[in-house]
Amino acid sequence: MVDFQMWLVQTFARATPVAAMMRTAWGWPIAESVHFIGLCLLVGAIFLFDLRLIGLGRRIPIGALHKLIPWGLLGFAMTGASGILFLMTEPDQYVYNPAFHLKMLFMATAGLNALAFYITSYRKATAPGAPDEAPRLAKIIAVASLTLWIGVIVSGRLLTFYRPFPCGPEGPGFLAECLPNYYR
Amino acid sequence: MNDFLLWLESTAFSTWVRESTSVFAFPAILSVHAIGMGLAVGVNAAIALRLLGFAPGVPPRELHRFAPVMWIGVWMNTASGLVLLLGYPTKAFTNPVFYMKLALIALGMWLYVVMTRQLMSEGRPGLSGPEPNARFLAAASLVCWAGAVTTGRLLAYTAHRILATW
Repeated sequence: MVDFQMWLVQTFARATPVAAMMRTAWGWPIAESVHFIGLCLLVGAIFLFDLRLIGLGRRIPIGALHKLIPWGLLGFAMTGASGILFLMTEPDQYVYNPAFHLKMLFMATAGLNALAFYITSYRKATAPGAPDEAPRLAKIIAVASLTLWIGVIVSGRLLTFYRPFPCGPEGPGFLAECLPNYYR
Repeated sequence: MNDFLLWLESTAFSTWVRESTSVFAFPAILSVHAIGMGLAVGVNAAIALRLLGFAPGVPPRELHRFAPVMWIGVWMNTASGLVLLLGYPTKAFTNPVFYMKLALIALGMWLYVVMTRQLMSEGRPGLSGPEPNARFLAAASLVCWAGAVTTGRLLAYTAHRILATW
């Protein structure tokens, strides 16, 4: 695991033009704004769909509301693209950050959970003439989805409070050299 | 003004917001603020996208069912925002960007009220697609909320005075 983390940090630290762009006065703030606007789109599409599956707004056909999901995916792409820029600029601050590990875990689980919805319930819930009430399994998946995405947001906000302490001369990649010794 | 800010920052609650190391203090307040933002802006974005003509199978007036979600988000953010303001009043009140953020939120809320009125009139006999007026309101709403989120993020970078004692 430590080897994998070192490899990640060193790979990201090689993206120096990205880091240089992100360190300009406007780089980081603009990427953060994109990250947060993406979050809003994601919540707007995915949370509303989950709430509809649970039973809110029953007169909205589930298949019709699903047409907003691509906007949620656009939001996810916005957070993903800006997120990778953060990671390339300050790899140490994420790769060694327990809040980041938790965030990735929540995100991966939310992805598998969405996959489970498409495999088990999508057709049943969105077929023409499907009942207003979503299948029970879809409701359980929707509750899990809401919980997991809230987990992603909260662990994302916690990132700043769980930054690893620097233990060498600063600069991207510096923790890769000192943390393995720290763990031993 | 400065005396007021000095007094505010010396209160026990303001000090707690700034200095508590508990994960239930500043980190929790910020988390509530982020979730509330997602709910409030998310519902506004969904309504605006519908008025722009996306997801045409969704009956516009039924989107009103998600209004409580939007209001939960608004109240979460009003409460957590006030707590953040009590923690760092000087930082906010001395930054013009903070007033821009408040103005954009006020405009966004006004657009929400006007947009939902449009939603309720949609689907009446004789009205088929969204009217051009509704599309303009929807586009303005999206721009407004994107601006509110952006100015909110910029607060961290544009503050020039953090505490009244500085």
